[in-house]
Amino acid sequence: MQSLPTLALVIIVIAGMTILISRDWRIIAIALGVQYLGVFILVSLTWPINLAVIKLITGWMATAAIAFTCLRHNRSATQPESFASFLFRGLAGLLIVLLIFILSPSVQSQIFPSVDLILIQGGLMMIGLSLMKLGLNSEPYPVIISLFSFLAGFEVIHAALELSSLLTGLFVVVNLGLALTGVYLIVSMEDTKATSEEGDLR
Amino acid sequence: MIMSTPVIWVIFPIIVAGICIFLSSRRRLTMAIASLTAFVLALLAAFFPEELNISIGPLAITLVESLHVLGRKLNLIYGMFPMIALIYGTTGLWLLTSNLPGVPKAFQPASLVIAATITAALGVEPFLYAALFIETAVLISVPMLTSLGGDKNQGILRYLSLMTIAMPFILIAGWLLSGVVTLPSDSPLIGQSAVVLGLGFAIWLAVFPFHNWVPMVSQTSHPVVSSFLLFILPTGILVFGLNFLNRYGFLRSSETLFNIIRITGALMIAFGGVLTAAQDLLKRAFGFSALTEIGYSLLALGMASEGGIIWLLLMFPARALGYWLWGYTLSRFESNYDVPLNLDVIQGDGRRVPILSTGLILAQLSVAGLPLLASFPIKIALLTQAMVESKVLGGWSLFGALGLFLFSIRVLLSLYHPGDFETQQPLLPKESFLIYLPVILAIGLLVVLGLFPGKLFSGIINTLSAFPQLQ
Repeated sequence: MQSLPTLALVIIVIAGMTILISRDWRIIAIALGVQYLGVFILVSLTWPINLAVIKLITGWMATAAIAFTCLRHNRSATQPESFASFLFRGLAGLLIVLLIFILSPSVQSQIFPSVDLILIQGGLMMIGLSLMKLGLNSEPYPVIISLFSFLAGFEVIHAALELSSLLTGLFVVVNLGLALTGVYLIVSMEDTKATSEEGDLR
Repeated sequence: MIMSTPVIWVIFPIIVAGICIFLSSRRRLTMAIASLTAFVLALLAAFFPEELNISIGPLAITLVESLHVLGRKLNLIYGMFPMIALIYGTTGLWLLTSNLPGVPKAFQPASLVIAATITAALGVEPFLYAALFIETAVLISVPMLTSLGGDKNQGILRYLSLMTIAMPFILIAGWLLSGVVTLPSDSPLIGQSAVVLGLGFAIWLAVFPFHNWVPMVSQTSHPVVSSFLLFILPTGILVFGLNFLNRYGFLRSSETLFNIIRITGALMIAFGGVLTAAQDLLKRAFGFSALTEIGYSLLALGMASEGGIIWLLLMFPARALGYWLWGYTLSRFESNYDVPLNLDVIQGDGRRVPILSTGLILAQLSVAGLPLLASFPIKIALLTQAMVESKVLGGWSLFGALGLFLFSIRVLLSLYHPGDFETQQPLLPKESFLIYLPVILAIGLLVVLGLFPGKLFSGIINTLSAFPQLQ
């Protein structure tokens, strides 16, 4: 059983790095879905399974909503980029992972002494990597995905601090609301692109 | 009949918003329903008797102040009623203009739901959960800020990102604060909690350097929508913030904290004022003016021990009226031009549409704090007190206030100075009674508020009864 949280942390780190590095919306969506699996495992360490599974279902629902919107709008799978920018994101991600491994023990001892170290590492990992992704992108899809990842990271840490049905419900509302907002913004942007392309063809 | 206050002021408007969505093709009807609902709720909150019992013929209605939801409470107490009245009254006012050209369909239901969620945020127990209600209000506001087909979403994405990032700070700060109450006053954890809390509120209130979404959203959204959002959201957040001061004695007694709030407020006034004065785009200038107003709120909060919280509360109605008039007149101007509104575009409009132009200028001057207008009595008191506290603090605040005046003068000169563009511009339609009546009424109210401060809307001060430690 000890290996399960470690496995969850590994899943979160790999998924977080994939979300940061990849430009393919399909890979990012899959990575986010996998990341929610890690979130579920970590949250279930402090919450009953039946409540922890809410995080998993909500996360998957939100991911599906965004992914199906991209699919419906035939969003191009990858966008051209230079190797240098790919390398930069990879190195920046590794730096964040390293930094969080170094800082987590002191965060635990000074701020969250009652929270398991692996929860702090998992939560901060998602927060750090998602903030980096957020800072590097300005399109709706990556921004919304980053916000999902950011919230998931926070929820992992907060779950260890407080257990409340209302809070869980409110987080569900916020996550699904964010998904709907993301869908709205993606549709809005894609429609504008399509309209301007039609105009160019004429 | 027994009803609970959250059912009336939180659940009922959400149901009405749902009805508005179903009837969205009939915009006049939905406008009437939504604004009527908001005004009725405002009047109920303003005039409901303190014993929470009323009889209408044979029907006796008794209100209870709480509603249990999933093991927690939504608790809208009588002391919060003046603030609820303000929230719904101003929402109703903005809803009256929701049929103006270009206002997104989503505005009517979204504004009602935003009012409901902010009301819920003021009453949820534990009060920290309010952060999630405010985040919900933010998410609901996104569709009304943009419309399908809009490509200028950068400001909205920044707004969404920053507001979402702020929420965890508030939740974590609340958790930390609940633990530090019993600690000795020199514990480092107290400072850490205050920093986390301050960061959360700074992001929420668009304090520099987290401000850049405000002018962007203001520039790209419809003026009616952006003026509503820039009023309702900071108001809700500031009142929610009073909870922290009310509950935690060590925050209340921290001179350092109030100094920081005061300095931040003065810098925001100076920053917003200078940038407003430098703007050519009218909608963007409104965004920077909103930052100045947030600065005034922070300055008032920072002077809590000198009665600043009363000034903070009294500023809300005057600000609402100024913003509303600003949003209304800007949207009327905007509907006549295909290009972004700037000082060149509006040259000469003061002669063609004098009443609208006067409305625009007076809205700006009221927000700036011109004598005889609504904000003046509060702002002069605030600036005087700031000057008494520290010449530097008062000086910077005054400097920022002058920036707003400078911009108003630039707009005035542009409106009444015929320029080269005049002959190329389309002529604005002749001002009809229905267009200028709201302007005249709003100007009249701005003047009455300025001439007789404390006579109208002074009941808002009673909100303090919900915060017994701050009285």
